Amino acid sequence: MSLLTTPELAAPQGTRTAPPVDGRRSRRKTTWTAVAFVAPLVIYLVLFYAYPLVQNVVMSLHRFDRFSFVNGGAPFVGFDIYAEVVAQSRFWVVVRQTVIFTTASIVLQYAIGLALAAFFHRSRFRLSATLRGLYLIPWLLPVIVSGTTWQWMMSPDTGVLNAFLGIFGADPVWWLNADNALLSVTIANIWLGVPFNLVILYSGLQNIPADLYEAAALDGAGPWQSFWRITVPLLRPVTLIALLLGLVYTLKVVDIIWIMTSGTGSSQTLATWSYGMAFGKGTSAVIRYSEASAVGTILLLAALVFGFVYIAVQRKQED
Amino acid sequence: MTTTTRVRRGLGLSIALATGLGLAACAGGSTPEPGASGNASEGSTTAEITFWDPYPQHTEGTPWDEHVKSCAPDGSTIVRTSAPQTDLLNQLTTAVKEGTAPDVVVLDNPMMPEAAAAQLLATAEQAGIATAGIDKNLMGPGVVDGVEYGVPFGSNALGLYYNADQLEKAGVDPAAITDWASLDAAIEKTVAAGGKGITFSGIAGEEGVFQFLPWFWGSGADLSDIGTPEAVSAGQLLSGWIGNDWAPRSAATDNQSAAWDLFLTGDYAFAENGSWFASAAADTDFKTGVIPIPAKDGGVAPVPTGGEFAVAPIQTTDASDHYANAAAVIACLTEGEAALTTNETLGYLHAKPEVRAEQVAANPLWEPWVAPIEGAEGRTTELGSEYVNVSASLSEALQGALNAAGDASGVETAFQDASGY
Repeated sequence: MSLLTTPELAAPQGTRTAPPVDGRRSRRKTTWTAVAFVAPLVIYLVLFYAYPLVQNVVMSLHRFDRFSFVNGGAPFVGFDIYAEVVAQSRFWVVVRQTVIFTTASIVLQYAIGLALAAFFHRSRFRLSATLRGLYLIPWLLPVIVSGTTWQWMMSPDTGVLNAFLGIFGADPVWWLNADNALLSVTIANIWLGVPFNLVILYSGLQNIPADLYEAAALDGAGPWQSFWRITVPLLRPVTLIALLLGLVYTLKVVDIIWIMTSGTGSSQTLATWSYGMAFGKGTSAVIRYSEASAVGTILLLAALVFGFVYIAVQRKQED
Repeated sequence: MTTTTRVRRGLGLSIALATGLGLAACAGGSTPEPGASGNASEGSTTAEITFWDPYPQHTEGTPWDEHVKSCAPDGSTIVRTSAPQTDLLNQLTTAVKEGTAPDVVVLDNPMMPEAAAAQLLATAEQAGIATAGIDKNLMGPGVVDGVEYGVPFGSNALGLYYNADQLEKAGVDPAAITDWASLDAAIEKTVAAGGKGITFSGIAGEEGVFQFLPWFWGSGADLSDIGTPEAVSAGQLLSGWIGNDWAPRSAATDNQSAAWDLFLTGDYAFAENGSWFASAAADTDFKTGVIPIPAKDGGVAPVPTGGEFAVAPIQTTDASDHYANAAAVIACLTEGEAALTTNETLGYLHAKPEVRAEQVAANPLWEPWVAPIEGAEGRTTELGSEYVNVSASLSEALQGALNAAGDASGVETAFQDASGY
């Protein structure tokens, strides 16, 4: 506070309240000051968000190949590429797989995360903090490590998962073949996402005042009732954030899938498909810049829709 | 109310911004003309020469790294960068676009037609690269529309390694394996004797296709049509191994190194793999040998040519100087005494027959590989830049076939439905 009284800092305020000898200039000055303050943010957003996004859309409206990517001259084709991508028989198959992967991942990540969070919240035993810390490991490991480990564990010939199932007399499962690939990568992705949900929901639980539970208990509410009537409603804002972020993360997942299956068989999602086409990776080494950016844009729009849903729900909650 | 207007105003601003940017992006699309100018003979070498190769496993200080750097002409130093095979062409594409292409790139041979078609490469003539005396089948992928781009300094090939101890135990004579039927019989015997069969790499993408082509061509199939009964029979062979538990199911996701590691465990009697593992095979604690991959009805199946081309990317500024750099370094790596070191270091056989003969005389390890390399076919020789599309379809078919695990109708559907998009 005392700093404000120093003459240097007080001076600008003095000029502003000074008699308007030249009112226009001083107003222009404040406008420029405002612009100067906003500029870094705007420049950053434009350079690192708007420009790549717009380039992505521009690319999906032109027919690029390797030659025109280097030398220019890709013809403008409007929405032809979108039409071609959607008309492919595999498009809807991939969409379906993406929906299954995303929904299953989010729902189970959330359910397991909530169960664990509630467990750690209610039972404060010794080592509970340590144990909670250990649950964060999937989050801290580089995905290349956990993805490769999952791939080994799911090896059809020598994997530990099949050895475990063998104890119960089950036949070995070919985890990463075309039919089972989606199931396998979803399992790995759920494992990867549980810690995030655990952390967010645990902190959400801590923010629920304990006296609410006490009051409910006095009124004769059982643990089940207090969970549904107190925990769930009061956790709603945190739940919303966890689900939305989970959705955006899951929609764009490439790494874990790519490491385990290179997007083969049923594990192909919109994100891995786009990645494979953009860089000529996976089954096909053909580079398809335009198709990849078209799929990328579709993915972006999907995420945007859910962003709006989130805003709408949040606004409704505030009312 | 205030929130809505604020949101609306923000939205308007971002739309305006986006539109402006879009226009800017369109206007800013001018790129340099493909340069046909420049010649190595008109330039002189510069102080720094940039060199890209697809061998990240040869890190700084390894024999390959030192060999490359020793090829710097007087007054120059070589700056070497490595990237995985599948990334190198994309990085080159971007670099040429930005005008920052290196002086020399070592590019996998099936990528040559596409790179040339996209005008990423200077011609061998422009860049002062000598191609005389190179075997025709090895040079094939580097010739596009009658024009030569770059030079292959050596070649590798695929063969069938075997675990001699296992074969002896099972009473199998490797010399008697001359067609698919005798191979199947041999695998069956080794499995009956407690072995695990054969390893190979069927991973999605070019690597798996590379390993599949000897069977594909050996069946009599042709890349111009992958739906023929011959092609299906090749898929059926590999699919059957999986179905009979004669090959690990992980073959569908194993790359060549992973497949080799499985063979090194000593559990497998056979391994389809490359000549670059020849010296590693000599160091195993079980006895190994190698035979050519048999064709369906007998004889040796043609294998695809393996190995890389040394090329000079196209340059727009100071082109002649860059080409002079390329000419000097590539000549050093591919000619004279150093050419032998190049190939011995990488585990390749030289692309010129007389140097190859010298190499074999000095190192008998190479003897079984001479015939496969001399009979090898370029993957792109027939189809040119169309090959990448066919390879994608073939990869999809192979994946489907391996997943069918021996089921005949599944294999057939896989080959007929493969579109490889």
